[in-house]
Amino acid sequence: MNFTLNSEQRQLQDTLRRLLSDHYSFEKRRVISASAEGWSAAAWRKMCELGISALSIDEGRGGLGGNAEDIAVVMAELGRALVVEPFLPTAVLAACALGGADPDVAAGLLPRIAAGEVLLAWAHDERTARHRFDCVGAAAELRDGRWLLTGVKSNVLHAPAAEFFVVSARVRAPSNTEGVALFLVDARCPDLSCRPYRLVDESLAGEITLTSALAVPLADPLDHQRQEAMLGAVRRAGTAALCAEAFGVMQAAFELTAGYVNTRVQFGRPLAANQAVRHQIAEMAVALETCRSAVGMAAAAVDDPISGFQDISRAKLLIGLHGRTVCHQAIQLHGGIGVTEEYKVGHCLRRLVVLDQLFGDADAHAQELATQLVQATEVMRSQQRSNCDD
Amino acid sequence: MKYTPELEGFRAQVRAFIDERLGPDLRNRLRQGFPASKAELQQWQRTLHERGWAAPHWPKAYGGADLSTEQRLILLDELFRAPAPIPLGFNVTMLGPLILAYGTEQQKRFFLPKLASLELWFCQGFSEPGSGSDLASLRTSARREGDDFVINGQKIWTTGAHLADWIFCLVRTQKTERKQEGISFLLVDMRTPGITVRPIVSIDGEHHLNEVFFDDVRVPMTNLLGEEGRGWDCAKFLLANERTGIANVGLSRERLGHAISLAAMLGESGNDVALQPWFLQEIAILDAEIRALEVTNWRLLVGDDERSAAFASVLKLKGCEMQQRVMVLLSKVAGPEGLEKRPSRGEESKHWAAALDPRYFYSRAASIYGGATEIQKDILAKAVLERA
Repeated sequence: MNFTLNSEQRQLQDTLRRLLSDHYSFEKRRVISASAEGWSAAAWRKMCELGISALSIDEGRGGLGGNAEDIAVVMAELGRALVVEPFLPTAVLAACALGGADPDVAAGLLPRIAAGEVLLAWAHDERTARHRFDCVGAAAELRDGRWLLTGVKSNVLHAPAAEFFVVSARVRAPSNTEGVALFLVDARCPDLSCRPYRLVDESLAGEITLTSALAVPLADPLDHQRQEAMLGAVRRAGTAALCAEAFGVMQAAFELTAGYVNTRVQFGRPLAANQAVRHQIAEMAVALETCRSAVGMAAAAVDDPISGFQDISRAKLLIGLHGRTVCHQAIQLHGGIGVTEEYKVGHCLRRLVVLDQLFGDADAHAQELATQLVQATEVMRSQQRSNCDD
Repeated sequence: MKYTPELEGFRAQVRAFIDERLGPDLRNRLRQGFPASKAELQQWQRTLHERGWAAPHWPKAYGGADLSTEQRLILLDELFRAPAPIPLGFNVTMLGPLILAYGTEQQKRFFLPKLASLELWFCQGFSEPGSGSDLASLRTSARREGDDFVINGQKIWTTGAHLADWIFCLVRTQKTERKQEGISFLLVDMRTPGITVRPIVSIDGEHHLNEVFFDDVRVPMTNLLGEEGRGWDCAKFLLANERTGIANVGLSRERLGHAISLAAMLGESGNDVALQPWFLQEIAILDAEIRALEVTNWRLLVGDDERSAAFASVLKLKGCEMQQRVMVLLSKVAGPEGLEKRPSRGEESKHWAAALDPRYFYSRAASIYGGATEIQKDILAKAVLERA
């Protein structure tokens, strides 16, 4: 059990933090997100030079073979600086999916992801699914030995910049069992179109429409077990990574607020001289420590192949719940400046809302957890009864 | 978060020991929400003491088992999970470590084994009518007369004074400019002439709390702990030591499990509380929070997290919130079934809902004692704002 960063992680954190404070100030971030591209190839290249794009990838495939804790360290720093670069879609989600793919599909791409030479996007969410991860309407069919995908994927992060999409689609096997499988689609495919847009936090996204688009399966689409494992791995890694980013966002909001109340003078004394203000700061600190633990337990669960999804679900729930509260308090304590476009703290809330909505929001995870808790208790009670009957 | 195989092995040992030695009647009453009686607690602590588990973190030479913080947390966790009575905190968490740090060899040899075995039951004389959260403003005084201290004054909110054999007290032995100076830490036999204990019935209708009056109570010099006038150091040490049990993770988890189990039981008789959105939402949040608190607890107590000291307030604040929320949840699960006022002993007390409302009422004290929520927030805010 290890909740303190090891020396390599600490070094990674320090270097990335320094890079971001030198080259990714909030003013710079505003310029980047307001640009036509919506991201910065130059800034992304600098980050990749630190090796962060290679973390999720095995050493044998050009990567650094990092674990979920390493990813969490990076995500938290990116969150802290409200970075709008493609780390999550390319270097976490797509890299994780490809990590489980057949070698002939993955071998060409993984080293290029590791080197920061190619951008991919994770195209899974659909409008009607809301927070049901297994709700996939896009269909895959095998025609003349080629797989063709049809469907619409929404909120695809960094879609306009992606060169390849990892797309989930429903497959019907000859035995009539149904399952979801993952495919790779080239962004240049004429049967794929992308409607670019920005999310509420100014980050880049798009809706992609596939009309019998040519696709390469990551692995045998009829091998449901393997496909489920790949999807599950992306869900685990992705959810845990989002938690870490949200923690970084909360940290930023908290640090800004603590600094602000110490220096802002009203009625002849700093805001921090008021107990009502100090107590809110204390409440924020408690929430932050809770979420720090949540990030740790989610990362540990990703790294432990036999652990269930529960700790990850718990973490996502807590992050959504406390993340919003901390951002609300941060805005409140800033007063008027907190609700302006030009000041960072409002953008923390905007990013947090995006993070809450991806990979299941707090309420969706609460529902899933509660159902499991009640079921487990009912099973226990019926076992106890049958033991008594014996 | 995963425990190492060694710690899991230790957990299994503890669990087996509890299963073998804890009677089903006591276990059921605790699960229902009632406290253990004095006799039950004495017997159970003696049982634990046989293994050195009553004061597991103390040295073996004084009745402990030299267990690590990790093992101690797991032991506590299993006791709560059972549920089993928890060894008396005044004895093993508070006073014992203080005597180990500040006591004379004679005091160590006399008190420590008796504290661990509960042969002597201690209560805590800190709060006074005029000194609640502002502890250092206390006015109970002790003057020197030959080889004795003579105490006069009053303590209040003294949990278990009516059960205790001894009391540890903060008393003023000198008038000084700084109110933290001139305080001494005394150990007092409750049978000493001049001590009067008067009960305070609490919100749950039970007798946990007392007022303790001191009227020319003579205490030998040898019962002074640490240096005269340096009692505030002792108090600070003792409160810092209280940290390990402060989050009460195991308690909240056991109570949450009980709430879900009761809801499932009600479901079998046609009540749909376990299907209601408010219930599902609350159990999910509590389950997630309690798990995260377990990690926070571990991180701050075991890990080499440099922020540990000030961040003990995080454990108290979050631990308290969890405890109080599960008690509210249990009261809501009891619902109208909990309304009938039932005695805490005898046949009627066996009703599943009998203890739930009273327990909820008394749980409001958790954010008042041991440094009120407002004090904890002050401490925490000071720590984080100084670093900002």
